[in-house]
Amino acid sequence: MNLQGGGRRADFIGLLARLILGVVLIWAGAAKVTSPAVSARAVRAFQILPYDFAGYVGYALPIVEVLIGLLLVVGLFTRASAVLGGLMMVAFIIGIGSAWARGLSIDCGCFGGGGTIAASQTQYPWEILRDVGVAACAGWLVVRPGTPYSLDHRLFG
Amino acid sequence: MRPDASKKIAAAAPKKGPNPVIIGAVIAAVVIVAVVVAIVMGTSGKSDGTAASAQPSGAVAADAGGILANAVPAKSNAPTLDLYEDFQCPVCGQFEKAMGPTITTMVEAGDVKLIVHTLTFLDDNLKNGFSKKTANAVACAADAGRFLEYHAAVFAAQPAQEGAGYTDAQIEEFATTAGITGPALTTWQKCNSSNQHAQYVLDTQTAAEKAGVNSTPTLQLDGKDITKTLTTPESLISQVKLATK
Repeated sequence: MNLQGGGRRADFIGLLARLILGVVLIWAGAAKVTSPAVSARAVRAFQILPYDFAGYVGYALPIVEVLIGLLLVVGLFTRASAVLGGLMMVAFIIGIGSAWARGLSIDCGCFGGGGTIAASQTQYPWEILRDVGVAACAGWLVVRPGTPYSLDHRLFG
Repeated sequence: MRPDASKKIAAAAPKKGPNPVIIGAVIAAVVIVAVVVAIVMGTSGKSDGTAASAQPSGAVAADAGGILANAVPAKSNAPTLDLYEDFQCPVCGQFEKAMGPTITTMVEAGDVKLIVHTLTFLDDNLKNGFSKKTANAVACAADAGRFLEYHAAVFAAQPAQEGAGYTDAQIEEFATTAGITGPALTTWQKCNSSNQHAQYVLDTQTAAEKAGVNSTPTLQLDGKDITKTLTTPESLISQVKLATK
């Protein structure tokens, strides 16, 4: 464990970042995992990926989110999980930004639901801000993956 | 410094915990299997939107499919309205109350060619099957030449609570309300109970998604989405007039 000055504060930030990233991913994945068809449609509504491939992403995404989220919460393979979680957030930010730029009126479907909504109901700035915040948590963990109360620490020392 | 001690520590370290490579490989394998299963389950039983099985009469062969609602052919200069609706969508119910009679009048006068696309995505959102059941039933009504009548009967009975759906008895009643009688009613009943147009119903949803329509109601006039411009029935009438060549 880091014994330099500020090490305990950094430990605390790391733990917080790990739990935020993990819980957000589990929450997002769990909200979609029981409605795969809805998830597939939410991805298609972005009109970025080809129809069939967008469907595959929609079916796979909730499972991957839940799993990476679980790894983060228990602190196993923290750096690798944070890299994957962070890349997903970057992809979401690009997708939402692209939908916004193209003038689509969609719900990101981040926590279930998704698809076209009224233009007045879109929440692009908030959705992007939220994902940037979560991506920042991932960034911290990629740089400094060592956190207290982690399985990484328990198992691999 | 005591070099022998640090050597001991270094030698002991790898034995301290389990092998991360094995744990990582097991987790990766579980994810891959889960993802493959999810994709296979998700894509099975779906259509590619091109199957031509058991189409109801009036089925349009064009890209986005749909059922032609005109009992009598529209005038040759009449524009085309494409209407995308889900029978469980409350906003579609409101749309039908506001615009339905006007559209029906225009269809009967032959002023527009109306193609109705009965979408069924709300079944997935609401976790029931009423959108598909009624979409099949209205396709059966199209076979009896009573598409618009049946369509109107379903929307007239739309439950106040989204997701409450329609009972089997109601779905039967709509056929009578739509004026399907005698041998046509027997045929309709068979078509309804055997879910004869089930594949067509799935194809309609897929075709709409491929055409980029993922919300209901959506009304297109000669392919252009005019849903948001419709404030009153008059606004629809004037746009249809403008589009009449």
